[in-house]
Amino acid sequence: MLADYGYIALFLLVSLAFAGLMISLPVLLRRLRIVPHKPSAVKSSTVECGLETIGHSWVRFNPRYYFIAIVAVALDALVIFILPWAMDLKNLGAFALVAAAVFVAIVGVGYLYAWRKGVLQWK
Amino acid sequence: MTTELSISDTAARLKAHFGEGVAPAGDGLATSPELLPRVAGYLRDTAGFDFDFLDMMAAVDYADRFELVYRLLSLKHNHTLTLRVNCDKNKAVVPSLAGLWQGADLQEREIYDLFGISFNGHPNLKRIVLWEGFEGHPLRKDFKDGAYGAGD
Amino acid sequence: MEIEGERLISAEEIDRHEAAGIEALRAASREPIPDPDAWLSTEIKRNLLFTTVDYAINWARTSSLWTLIAFTACCTFEFIGTSSSRFDIARFGMEVVRASPRQADLLICGGTLTWKMAPQIKRLYDQMAEPKWVVAMGACAISGGIFRDSYAVVPGYNRLVPVDVYIPGCPPRPEALLAGIEQLRKKIRKESITQRR
Repeated sequence: MLADYGYIALFLLVSLAFAGLMISLPVLLRRLRIVPHKPSAVKSSTVECGLETIGHSWVRFNPRYYFIAIVAVALDALVIFILPWAMDLKNLGAFALVAAAVFVAIVGVGYLYAWRKGVLQWK
Repeated sequence: MTTELSISDTAARLKAHFGEGVAPAGDGLATSPELLPRVAGYLRDTAGFDFDFLDMMAAVDYADRFELVYRLLSLKHNHTLTLRVNCDKNKAVVPSLAGLWQGADLQEREIYDLFGISFNGHPNLKRIVLWEGFEGHPLRKDFKDGAYGAGD
Repeated sequence: MEIEGERLISAEEIDRHEAAGIEALRAASREPIPDPDAWLSTEIKRNLLFTTVDYAINWARTSSLWTLIAFTACCTFEFIGTSSSRFDIARFGMEVVRASPRQADLLICGGTLTWKMAPQIKRLYDQMAEPKWVVAMGACAISGGIFRDSYAVVPGYNRLVPVDVYIPGCPPRPEALLAGIEQLRKKIRKESITQRR
């Protein structure tokens, strides 16, 4: 039984090794002086086409983006569950249809609420 | 096609209001700095002239004086007119037309920056193309500094 | 005036700060920076091991020189012409031009540099990650060109940044720019990881 997972174990080892190599390789090359390493204050500063930045870079975002993203995530979750249901529609029978309809209705109520509240309008 | 107003006709019309203060000069009308705001305001507000757009302002450095050249344009009638104003080199002060035409705002700042002609009544007369603290007015003919300032 | 702990900065402060930067740069750049080619004439003791590594690294670097988008004047158009299909700088892997100095390794100084722009170019050069090279393209970049006597022009980019290759011309033809790029690549091929960069 365990041997069936042999390939997955190998895959896990290779991916861990790759990730480790990607992280440690630049450090190694730096230590061996194969790649240049000259950090300075200006070099690490924020790039603004040669100008010095004024104030914070963390600006306030419009909350409209957040609302639209939330609605998108909710509908995304709906799609994730609807897709496998739709794949095997014929065999699942009437109960599955009713269950799916209930699920769609629940998510749909939330979506309708957001719609009526004007979240989808960009004012 | 934009028409140039006839200088003699325009001068004749303006003589009625301003007397000898406005005279034909080459391709335009010449007036004194003191009369300039009234003449410009008259040209902007009178029906028939309606010069609602200041096309361009320029300054010229002659041997004995500065000359300011204003190109006025009427968007309504599609005609243009040139106004010339002489000012003294040592005391280069001219009334500002920024209140009449908004286009005059930045153009007067540029002329102040590069020629040193001050404009009375300008809302924000400071250098615009050169950096603050730059010494001298480069487009004057007697400006001789090089890349590193005086003595280069 | 305080807004959430952020100080509201006035236009006058910004102007004064800019002026201070320009005057400081002007004062500091009276002498040109010497060209970084002292190591070309010295004999580099190379190990056989290093030679192969050097060869590989230099091959990678010369085959993908990414230019920073920091052009100031007319020579830019000759660079644009060189990047288009007739002269095709993509043959050399250089069709990529990057806006961010972190991703670029070549600064082509295309055009006249004015004192007002000088702090920006210097800062962009400082923000580029090593390895980086500079090519002065055109008369204005080499010495200020026909504007050398002007109050507003920096007399050559080498007052601000160390220049590797100078390409004369006003503007240099695309073939001249490509010849200059080839000179730069010859220079890069002589580099070694044993030298302190």
